[in-house]
Amino acid sequence: MISIMKGLNGMNKLLVLLLLIIVMIPAGMPLAQDESGEMSDEEYEAMLEKGKKVYEVRCLLCHGENGDGNGFSGIIRRAEKNGRVLEIYPRDLTMAVFRFRTTPTGCLSDDQDLIDIISNGVPRSFMPAHKELPIEDVEATKEYIKTFSYRWEEEDACDPIAVSKPDWIGSADSVVKGKKIYQDMKCGECHGYDGKGDGPKSNDLKDDWGKQILPFNFATGDLKRGSSAENVYITFTTGLDGTGMPSYEDSLNEEDRWHLVSYTLKLMKP
Amino acid sequence: MYRKFYLILLLTSAIVLLAFSIVATVKEVTPEWKQYQSEYKEMFIAKAKDPEIAEQAKSFQIGHKQIYLNTLERVDRCMNCHIGVDNPLMAGADHPYKQHSGNYLDNHPIAKFGCTVCHDGQGRATNKKEAHATDLDTHWDTPILPAKYIESACARCHDKEMLKDSGAEKVAQGEMLFREKGCRGCHKLAGVGGVLGKALDGIGSQPKHYFSLRHVEGDKTTYAWLQEHFVDPRAIVPDSEMRVVLNGEEADLLTTYVLTIKTDEIPKQYRRISNYKDTPADGESLYKMYCIACHTDGKYSIYDELFKRTIPAVMSPDFIRTIDDAFLKKIINDGRKDTQMTAWKPDAAGLTDDELNRIVTYMTRNRSGEKPAPFGYSNFTVNKKSGQEIYDVRCASCHGIMARAGEGYLGIDLTNPVIQSADPEFLAITIRDGRKGTTMVPFGAKGLKLSDQDIADIVAYLRTFAQMKHNQGNMK
Repeated sequence: MISIMKGLNGMNKLLVLLLLIIVMIPAGMPLAQDESGEMSDEEYEAMLEKGKKVYEVRCLLCHGENGDGNGFSGIIRRAEKNGRVLEIYPRDLTMAVFRFRTTPTGCLSDDQDLIDIISNGVPRSFMPAHKELPIEDVEATKEYIKTFSYRWEEEDACDPIAVSKPDWIGSADSVVKGKKIYQDMKCGECHGYDGKGDGPKSNDLKDDWGKQILPFNFATGDLKRGSSAENVYITFTTGLDGTGMPSYEDSLNEEDRWHLVSYTLKLMKP
Repeated sequence: MYRKFYLILLLTSAIVLLAFSIVATVKEVTPEWKQYQSEYKEMFIAKAKDPEIAEQAKSFQIGHKQIYLNTLERVDRCMNCHIGVDNPLMAGADHPYKQHSGNYLDNHPIAKFGCTVCHDGQGRATNKKEAHATDLDTHWDTPILPAKYIESACARCHDKEMLKDSGAEKVAQGEMLFREKGCRGCHKLAGVGGVLGKALDGIGSQPKHYFSLRHVEGDKTTYAWLQEHFVDPRAIVPDSEMRVVLNGEEADLLTTYVLTIKTDEIPKQYRRISNYKDTPADGESLYKMYCIACHTDGKYSIYDELFKRTIPAVMSPDFIRTIDDAFLKKIINDGRKDTQMTAWKPDAAGLTDDELNRIVTYMTRNRSGEKPAPFGYSNFTVNKKSGQEIYDVRCASCHGIMARAGEGYLGIDLTNPVIQSADPEFLAITIRDGRKGTTMVPFGAKGLKLSDQDIADIVAYLRTFAQMKHNQGNMK
């Protein structure tokens, strides 16, 4: 380009430069758009349309046309406890209340939280993984799911909670401290004094939709969210909104929550 | 020079030996039963008002009491301690002087029956520890039967018809539980029953050493093992797949019944046989006995955490009205390979053809008269490739990409011979109309609105699973 410019006189040089600038502006525009996250209305509509298609093929059968969890499948699972059969329904998406978030209790989920759940599923809950789905489709579905609740328009996003695991997790000392906290915080009233989900209150737990739920039995294997120390910690910190599991962000300090993580992991692998 | 040393050695050993002899002699001449008998004599004398009985009391001889029972091949010395067992004056006394409760001895005189024929324990022993034999270190196979299970002993001679309302109700109630909780769905008895659990023949006569007693919290005995394992199977057998869990009271009753399942027979002259014969079980009783432990009332499918798979809703109205009797019978007959579903045919789980028919009749008793609209599978030109594309998106979430389902999947294994041999028409109707009580949703016009062509293509594709390799799992 410089060699071309050399061959031109001053006036022409200016003209060519101007021309170049005009040509380059539209080329640079989409880049600028991506960075700011803004999207034209048409593009957003197209994305929703795409998300709707994926939703109708893959999600609607359980979560229902309006996202209220009343799809064709109805009760997704029946769990038996003490001869009682509990009926567990697919998640109602119209309240935008999700258990597995990285944001503080009461907050909306982070976008990445929703993407993770769609892509990886929720093990042991029969929410299947959709790893083979292209990421654009997952994002489009996520946006479509957000249309089910007004909360996504009215509420501001919260920042995800940072997690940094201390290196003493799982040490004997930490487990002992965790056990004390487990007792003091009365975790056993629901989860059972040995963590077997059979505490005195375990039979009368209901979720925010008024449906019966069971406290987790740590003897049965992996947690739905995954059983890493970080995952257990984030559950204590964010709570599982919609269920009886509260956030301990205010009632336990960070160190105590990590001790409780140590003890919980011990309950799972005695 | 060593004389002194040897002298001391000799003296010490003599003293030690003497001490041992004294201790042994004292122990031998004052056994615990002697103590009991002399206390008994005092009590007897104090209680005896009638001069004749007082005379008897005074002449009571302290000494070994034993009953030799030739026919039963038993020698019982329990009265060495339980000396007042047939003395009415001892009605209000404490153990071991107490009179036997109830009127059992009227019909079962001690001289003819002894004690251990009902109560178990080691009849020849002459001290409590060895006679009761509940401790592991006594190495006696049949420890004394606790009072709460004692009715199980009645069934050694009497049949359940006689016991029902004459003092052994617990056996009858336990037997009822045994049938209604579906024990034989997994356990064979007399050659009939499922294969998931151990056969139960003779379990009541099995010595305690046949059981792993490590996790038993009560007495280390067969009955404690049984009772605790009915309440919490996995506390006793960590990898148990037993689905049925009973409350404590039910567990006591069932233990009483299970203890009656014995191999050793009491001689004929002791047994009372009423020529009672079980009436052939009807379809409902058979369903309870063999199916209910897993399928419950059959209305809903249940994902089972122990089996790691979904237990189908075998009496879902949609299923019953779609399936014909012959195919239903074939499914029960052949079972479902690689799952917990036993093959119930005569040469496997041992049900007779007639019994299988009765179960089918029971299961289909509420079949609606209205048949599902025919699908007409044979009229379609099917495309397996297109079927696969739809399957992978629509069906794989529940049945797995390789259709093996299992752990973490709500659907059932579609590669199974039972499904592969099903009429494609049946499969197509099931996909089109779904199945109430399960998570199989209607994919046709009433539900997710797939076209009939799409459904036919899916059926064509899933019928190719028969050739799939067995061990491919669900992963891509």
